[in-house]
Order: sequence, then structure tokens, then C-alpha cells
Amino acid sequence: MTADPRALAELLEESQDMQADALRPTHAALDELVELSHASPDDDPASNLAFHEEHKRSLTSSLGATSILGAAGGLALVGVLASAAAASSSSDVQILQTAASIENLAVATYKTALTLPYIGGSAADPVVTKFCQVTMGQHAQHADAFNAAVKHLHGKVQHKPDPAFVPVVNKAVASLGSATAAQGALGVVGLALELENIAAETYIHDTVLAKSKTNKALFASIMGIEAQHVSVLLAVQALLKAGAPQLISLAPGTGAALPAVAGSIGFPNAFYPTSSAAPAKQGAVK
Amino acid sequence: MSKRSKETFEGTEGELLSMTKELDELHYDVGMPAMRQGVANMIEGMKGGIAPTSRRTFLMGAGAAAAGGAALLVVGASPSLAGASTRKVSALRTVDAAAFPPAGLTGDLVVAAIAASLENLAVFAYSAGLTAATAGKLGTVPPAVATFATTAKAQHTQHAAAWNGVLKSYGKAAVTVTNPTLTPVVEGAFAKVTDIAGLAELAIMLETIAAQTYQAETSMLKSKAAIGLSSSIMPVEMQHIAILYYVLGKYPGAQSSAGTPLAFNPTSMAL
Repeated sequence: MTADPRALAELLEESQDMQADALRPTHAALDELVELSHASPDDDPASNLAFHEEHKRSLTSSLGATSILGAAGGLALVGVLASAAAASSSSDVQILQTAASIENLAVATYKTALTLPYIGGSAADPVVTKFCQVTMGQHAQHADAFNAAVKHLHGKVQHKPDPAFVPVVNKAVASLGSATAAQGALGVVGLALELENIAAETYIHDTVLAKSKTNKALFASIMGIEAQHVSVLLAVQALLKAGAPQLISLAPGTGAALPAVAGSIGFPNAFYPTSSAAPAKQGAVK
Repeated sequence: MSKRSKETFEGTEGELLSMTKELDELHYDVGMPAMRQGVANMIEGMKGGIAPTSRRTFLMGAGAAAAGGAALLVVGASPSLAGASTRKVSALRTVDAAAFPPAGLTGDLVVAAIAASLENLAVFAYSAGLTAATAGKLGTVPPAVATFATTAKAQHTQHAAAWNGVLKSYGKAAVTVTNPTLTPVVEGAFAKVTDIAGLAELAIMLETIAAQTYQAETSMLKSKAAIGLSSSIMPVEMQHIAILYYVLGKYPGAQSSAGTPLAFNPTSMAL
């Protein structure tokens, strides 16, 4: 983000080059991942069954406690999402597919948001627009990286959005139709915040669940990026709610004008929780 | 929005304060129990071959450390900025790099010791910055920067307490020194700090090293509980970085040295 949209556009272009460079070691490490996977007991039926049962319980618990998922279909989803068919894939493939599905949903959400006049139109703040564009591009790269890891494990790539969260996003987007620009901007930020937080929490949890070191490293390289998106959105949300959108800026002097609480509102927890993490196989390809 | 004039926050501070209060409550409702549970899980899950003293003892110890650990460190350290004060940073409780990590630690406990030393250094740095700022040695201090430093310092204190709680539960001494490898680097950087922007850049360096070290350890740690604890801290350091960049007027996220946004956080600065 920068005060000058053109400068940010240049940064975005440079970023794409940088990401290609950054991904090179990741792709190289995927070879190791394949070896590790083949050497691991991932395909052991007993291991898969245990994994299946564990995450069926996790999913049930999550659905029981989360109103968002309840709106998406409630307990009826348990049987569908935790089906034995999905459990036939290795656990790492499933969590990678779920991660890709979350990224796909994030890309679609930002893409939709950018069609709104107060986010991507002429009435929008150019800084907010560019932030959404950069962030959408990063999520697309995350999806590509997760799917590349899936392919290296001979799994099916996931190009669809996370099924449990799609209705939530659709409902939120529909509600924006009659909103004022201010209400709409807050709604978009709130929705993005929720998705970013789910992504961050899911990948933090996945660093524990993943069996291969390479996958752990991949999740670890992305979880902090999503957490930073959360931070920025928390700050933006607070400034919008406080009626100070002029401070959503990187122009010189903005930092000095920020209120005291803006210095801490972006990191509310000393330890990042994982209570909102998506169940490991929620977005797995069936 | 970026081109609009800057305004003070007189009319909306109350709303933000209210939100902060909610966040504080959320922190204590969610963050602290999550820390205790995460560390307790780590103690029970680690396979160091040494039985922890007891989970209850640890939890009490961790709580006490979180409440007073930073104070002990700061009193012993007499924090100051070399560039802004005549007092020397060498008053820090340092240890010879050759003697660190302490003997007798193996496996994940070595990582716990290194992590605690990094967190101690962060606590020291923020304390030093706040001391210098309060003394008027860094020029005008934006209110958001002061709040940031105070809050980040408190979180690093909790991180150090969490790792030290793990060490204590395994009968090991808590690490109260700052990281011996990085301390000279920080001392050198402190010597050049003359304003808030310089302090923020130093903080970004420290936070980046901490975040990337945790990130690198994610695939090196053995126990799942240790990975979980490390992974719960790394994103918080990343959030500190984002806000620091925002305050400095830079892209608020991981970036190259040229300021190019990165979708994947590197580990080139990990210890």
C-alpha cells in the first residue's frame, strides 16, 4: 500500500516477479515433499481411518459451536463433508485441498468486492482498492502453491471455494446491495476480516496437522501473511467505525495523526487462537 | 482517503477506546487460556526424556512469569538507547554466545531457550524505546507508537513466559538473558537511533527475526505441542510488523528490502 496508486501498481508488478522467485525454493522443496509422503504412512488405511474419525469429531464440534457454519447447513453437512470417500486421500492432501478452497473463496470474495463502486470503482479510496488487489493476488498465489503441493502428492487440485463458507459469503454480499457506501465498505471489511482470520487460524492449525516438513513450511510461510491481512483489516475497520477514513492512508504524517489505540488494535491476542480453524477436510476434493 | 487532510481523533477516541477494551477482554478470555492450554499441551506432548515437575506448578509459574518476568528483566537490564542516552546498553544481562543455549538442553528445549532469549531481547528493546521516548530523546512520540510499544512489549513478555514455563516444567532454569547472538547487533543499531522512525525500523528488524525464526522452527520442532506454540506466536510477531510498517507509512505487510509485497514470508533472517 502506498499513498500513490501508481507506485503501488508498480509494487504489485514487482511483487509478481518476487513471488515467482520466492516460490522457486517452494517448488524445489516439493520434490522432498513427495519423497517424504511416499515414505510416510499417509496411505496406511488405519492411519486414514484414525484421521477420518478425528476430523469427523472436529467437524461435528465445529458445526455445533459455530453459528456461521450452522447457517450453511448445520449438522446435515457433517455427513457430506466428513464422508468416508474424502477420507481415502492422504491427510496432507486433504488439508492442502481445504487450504486451496479457502484461498479460492478469498480470491472470489475480493474479486467481487472490487466490482463494488466504493471498493474498486471511481468512488473508492485508491489505497483500499490497491490493498484489495494486492491481497487478492497473494491469495491466488497461495492457492497455486497449495494446489502445486497437492499435485506433487498425486492428489486432485482444488479449484472450488470452501463449500461451508460459500453461503456465508453469498449472504453477506447480497446484503451489500442496499447498503450505503459507508455501510458497504464496513461490510466488505468485516467479511474479508472473517475470511482472513479463518485462513490464518486454519494454517496455524495445519502446521501441527501436516505430516511432511515441507507442507509445514508452506503453511508457516503463509499463515503470517494472512495474520497481517487481519491486522490491516482490524485497523481499517476501527478507523471506519470511528468515522476517520482519512486515516486509512500511508501518506506522510498519518502515523502521527493516528489515535493511541490504533497502535494496538491490529493484534488483539498474544497467542493466535485456532478456535475458528476450518476442519481439515472441509474443502477436500471428493 | 489518502489525500485528505489529517485530523485529530477527538471525537472518535471514545469509540476506539471502547473497542480496545473489548479487545483486552477478548485477549484475557481467549488469548491467555489459549496460551496456558497450548503450553500445557506442549509440556505433556514433548518427548524430552525428562519428566516435567508438574502441570499445575508450571501453570502457576507461567502466570507469575507473565506478570513479573518483564519487570525482572528490565530492572536487571537498565534499558537505554545508546544513541539517545549516556547510559550503556551493556547493562543488559547477556551471556557469552559460546555458553548459549545452556548446557543440558536438548531437542525442543533448545528451541524454547532460544525463543525465550529472543523474546527477552524484544522486551528489552521496547522497554529501552519507551524509556528514551519518555525522556524526550526521540522527539515527538505519536500516541499510536507509544501504545504499540507498550502492547507489543506485554505480548513479548507473555511469549517469554510461555517458553520459560516450558523450561521450568522440565526442571530447567528459565532463560532471563537476551539472545547473545543478536544482542550485539541490537546494541549497534541502538547506537544509531535518534528518532521514532529509527526505533520503529529497529523494532521491525527484531520482530522479523523473531517471526522468521519461529517460522523456520515450525518444520524443525519435534513435538506437535511445540509446533503449535511456536505457530501461535509467529503470526502475532507478523502482526506487530504490519502495524509498524503502517505507522511508518509503508506497505503494511511482509516485503522485500525494496518494499515489494511478499505473498510468502521468507526465512532468510531466521536465527
